[in-house]
Amino acid sequence: MNLYLTVPLLTLIAVFQSVLFSQLGFQDAHVELMVMVVLTWSFVRGMEAGAVWAFIGGLLIDLFSGGPLGGTSLALLVVAFLGGLQWGRSLGPTFIRLIIVTALGFLAYHIILLLVLAWTGRPVSWGFSLSRVILPGVLLNGLFAPLFHRLMVWLDRRIRRQGLNLSL
Amino acid sequence: MIRRSPRRSWLPLVLFIVGLLILVFHEAGYLSPVENALHYVFDPLQRVTSGLVRSTGDMFHTVREVRELRAELETLRSRVDTLTAENIRLQEYEAEVQQLRSLLNFVSDYPISAFVGADVVGREACDQFPCGDVVGADPNPYLRYVTINVGAQQGVEKGMPVVSGGAMLAGRVVQVGPRTAQVQLLSDGDSAVASLLKLSRVTGLVVGQPDGTLRMEYIPQDEEVNEGDIVLTSGLGGVLPKGLIVGQVTEVQQMDYELFQAAVLRPALDFSRLETLLVITDFEPVPTDEATPEPPMPESE
Repeated sequence: MNLYLTVPLLTLIAVFQSVLFSQLGFQDAHVELMVMVVLTWSFVRGMEAGAVWAFIGGLLIDLFSGGPLGGTSLALLVVAFLGGLQWGRSLGPTFIRLIIVTALGFLAYHIILLLVLAWTGRPVSWGFSLSRVILPGVLLNGLFAPLFHRLMVWLDRRIRRQGLNLSL
Repeated sequence: MIRRSPRRSWLPLVLFIVGLLILVFHEAGYLSPVENALHYVFDPLQRVTSGLVRSTGDMFHTVREVRELRAELETLRSRVDTLTAENIRLQEYEAEVQQLRSLLNFVSDYPISAFVGADVVGREACDQFPCGDVVGADPNPYLRYVTINVGAQQGVEKGMPVVSGGAMLAGRVVQVGPRTAQVQLLSDGDSAVASLLKLSRVTGLVVGQPDGTLRMEYIPQDEEVNEGDIVLTSGLGGVLPKGLIVGQVTEVQQMDYELFQAAVLRPALDFSRLETLLVITDFEPVPTDEATPEPPMPESE
């Protein structure tokens, strides 16, 4: 029952990332819609809720990609793990923690993605990826992190108010 | 308050293991039927969304003069591309004629670039071969694939060459859905195309680089390579037609201690601005494992 809500929502996100957001960006970095949604959803709802979104969202992204099926799911699961951990409560206000988690999550996501690509026999350039994709991506997505966080908090409140559940 | 049960705490780990298994089975080719079925479901959604996004974008271009100027610019660009391709093709013929004249009793009836004439980007070409609009780019920032809105129903098959702007090679079809197909661009890090220099006829292998540039490798050390040389497909291996334009040499990389020299190429196409592509459907590639990978099917008991 819950998947009837989760799958269409994540499908829309994957489609928009493929059609629109993959073509907008800075250098070779883009606003990674699915990464940000999974990261902030895990931040708001915890690791388990984020893991479900990470798994389904990753498979959907891979369907629209030429990459290996399952690779993005693995990378997003690590993002959900980092986003949903209760560590760092003492680091300061939510905003600071959000920025740190975004940077770490984004970094981890791309490292796992590159490892999967290397493991499946695709050529990988670590230097290029770091300088042209990952570092600009951390900055770009870090800028949007508060916006995504607010959206997820809003969605969370709305879901709780209506008694819905977007997890398994 | 989020309730956590002991069963739930294993969920992320279980999903990670399942994801790992999916990855392994995908690489082994066991999931192809499932993926094809899913493409039937999700591809129309991508097409419709792409159309909506494009329509919405068009609404912002309401100033008539700007639109007219843009259309005129596109027409002129297209004409320049066509004439450039035609010019290079004629020079290619000239080089070939000189070669043939130098060989006694050599007769060749192989029609070089027979199906990549200058009119292939026009409407007539779209009647003859399926033309596809690019509807999606790869969400993975390390891969250079695009999705086009023609597929098996239009006669597209895996391994078919895809061109744009005349005789300029864009890439190859690697996955086909009912009404969409995924094209691996030349600039993808996993792409390799047998090529030659137009004038000197020196052969090499053009490979995509992880940063999206092109590099021609395995050029023999004793051959002369110059900046500005045009690079064409050589047709070697039989997976692509001969004579399609790949790019132009911008830098020669030669080290005395290496067996081969290499060249950095400027691609003939701007891969970030592809809009309409043409799939050459009457070219029959020599079947190889690379061109037509058949996923191993599990044996039924």
